[in-house]
Amino acid sequence: MEGLFFNVNNGFLEGIVRGYKAGILNQGHYASLTQCESLEALCDRLRNFLANEPSLLSTTTISDKATQILIDQFNFLRSNAVEPLYKFLDYITYGYMIDNVVLLITGTLHERDTHELLERCHPLGIFDTMPALCVATNVEELYHSVLVETPLAPYFRNCLSAADLDDLNIEIIRNTVYKAYLEDFHSFVGTLGSPTSDVMQTILAFEADRRTINITINSFDTEVTKEQRAKLFPAMGRLFPEGNNVLAKADDLEQVRLVCDNISEYRSFFDNSSSSQATHDVGDLGVATQLEDRFFRMEVHLNKQAFMQQFQYGVFYSYVKLKEQEIRNVTWIAECIAQDARDRIQDLYQSFDRLYCLLLA
Amino acid sequence: MSGAGARENIFATRMALTNMKLRLKGAEKGHSLLAKKRDALTTRFRAILKKVDEAKRKMGRVMQLASFSMAEVTYATGDIAYLVQEQAKLAAFRVKATQENVSGVLLPAFEVDRVSGSDFNLTGLGRGGQQVLRAKEVYAKALETLVELASLQTAFMILDEVIRATNRRVNAIEHVIIPRLENTIKYILTRPTDTDGSLVNRLKKVQGKKKRQAAITAAAKQAITDAQNKSVKSTKTDETQPQGPVAATEEEVEEGVVAEESAEVADEEVTVEEDAVGETAVAEPEVEVEEATVDLLSTKDEDVIF
Repeated sequence: MEGLFFNVNNGFLEGIVRGYKAGILNQGHYASLTQCESLEALCDRLRNFLANEPSLLSTTTISDKATQILIDQFNFLRSNAVEPLYKFLDYITYGYMIDNVVLLITGTLHERDTHELLERCHPLGIFDTMPALCVATNVEELYHSVLVETPLAPYFRNCLSAADLDDLNIEIIRNTVYKAYLEDFHSFVGTLGSPTSDVMQTILAFEADRRTINITINSFDTEVTKEQRAKLFPAMGRLFPEGNNVLAKADDLEQVRLVCDNISEYRSFFDNSSSSQATHDVGDLGVATQLEDRFFRMEVHLNKQAFMQQFQYGVFYSYVKLKEQEIRNVTWIAECIAQDARDRIQDLYQSFDRLYCLLLA
Repeated sequence: MSGAGARENIFATRMALTNMKLRLKGAEKGHSLLAKKRDALTTRFRAILKKVDEAKRKMGRVMQLASFSMAEVTYATGDIAYLVQEQAKLAAFRVKATQENVSGVLLPAFEVDRVSGSDFNLTGLGRGGQQVLRAKEVYAKALETLVELASLQTAFMILDEVIRATNRRVNAIEHVIIPRLENTIKYILTRPTDTDGSLVNRLKKVQGKKKRQAAITAAAKQAITDAQNKSVKSTKTDETQPQGPVAATEEEVEEGVVAEESAEVADEEVTVEEDAVGETAVAEPEVEVEEATVDLLSTKDEDVIF
């Protein structure tokens, strides 16, 4: 049934976004990008794909320009959207808003210049009352004066118990809020009906699991207690609830591996028997580092699959994520080239191999 | 002989000779010691040079690795620079300076002192924390290499300076001090007597010269009286002979010239005496020859006595 009325409101935007997606770099483009000897050459080729301004010099500028393109496209989509797609697109920005809020809080704690902070904020997550955040000194004040006006208010409500704003708490606040956001997003897509919820809940479930695993691994040997850790896990995803319970008590990587073995898709994350040994040194750190790559690969895979379904909102979310991955890839290539490729050409190609796995259709 | 080489400005006495010999011995000993030090330092210097080369190459590799790991962090988590910057409170990586003694040269050596701080451990908790940790480790290693290089580099500079100074000293002793001492000793040895003796010598010479002068004037007077006598005789014998007085005046003039010459010679002798560096022995025979023309052997005898 959804196919019957979907296009009335969203057909145009879906067409647009699929068109955008066709503009994402493919394997051939990456192959030619990796051949570049200098950043200038890279820019020359990028200008065709990304229509960038000339005079790109550093890797940061490249990624900034690429991000700007994404922002423009997203804003175009958002301004043309109607409910409930509009709300869906808003939800996408909440993640960036959380990051910005945390950044501002951190900066305020250390008494930094507000304007400098605002420049560093992700453009997708900017909201009107953001500069006012700088006056807050504790979470309660923060909540009552500023955040209550923003869509983030319900997420912050849960972490009001955190008395002081110190560095440990800030990181915990960030993750608690993000957890709340994921859960909320998850329930929101549930209300949107079948094809959207199917696609989006798969992606969000993976996102939640990824966070859970990451938090577990990264909180080994830190000040985060196991109770705190358990509170940071989103109450969703395929690992929930048994996996999360085990992870909350896990002490080493082996236990994480056992949990992931229960899910067939996640089993490969800790599989370091294959090609991994060639590129990375064995050991916990090596595995964990590679884990991030595999998460990225999985994410891209899921996002690509979102485009297989029509008449659903998942494509918008997926497009943003894919574009972000593209920006990361381009930055990575630029970084590799900028860091004097001649000496480490072999290394570079291995790094590019990593890229090829993330290539988008 | 006086221009053969620089020497110490001293009187040629026996005591000075002993002193000089002692100093020469000391200089030679110092020379050999300094030369040994220089060799030791040079060996060390070469070793350090080699290590510096290695360290620099290593640094190139490690720094590249480090910035690469930073790129990985950027890939995984985005820009974390700000968070890390704000959360770092304590220096987790410190450098301690100690000293090392190499042949009397104090070389500073830097040591790494890592405090395992928990700063920004939580950065990237939700994503990319492992990359952050890895980058942290890699950068710590890179810093270690830098510290190592720094201590080598400092040692290198200091050693270079010291080696140059030592080299200068060795060369100065070898080419300036030792030859000068040797010259002085030679000077003292070739000097016939003490300076006091030569003073007496000179006085006696002056005395002898005065005698000579007296003898010359006496001879001249004698010649004049002879000539007068002759002219008296000739006027007595043959009054039309005018040559007599003329010849006499000629003779007189001749005698006068000789006297003047001998006076000059005597003067020269004195000046030679004054600035002589054991030269009198050679100079005297020349004077003798000239004196012999005047035929005043008595003065010559006096000279030879001393």
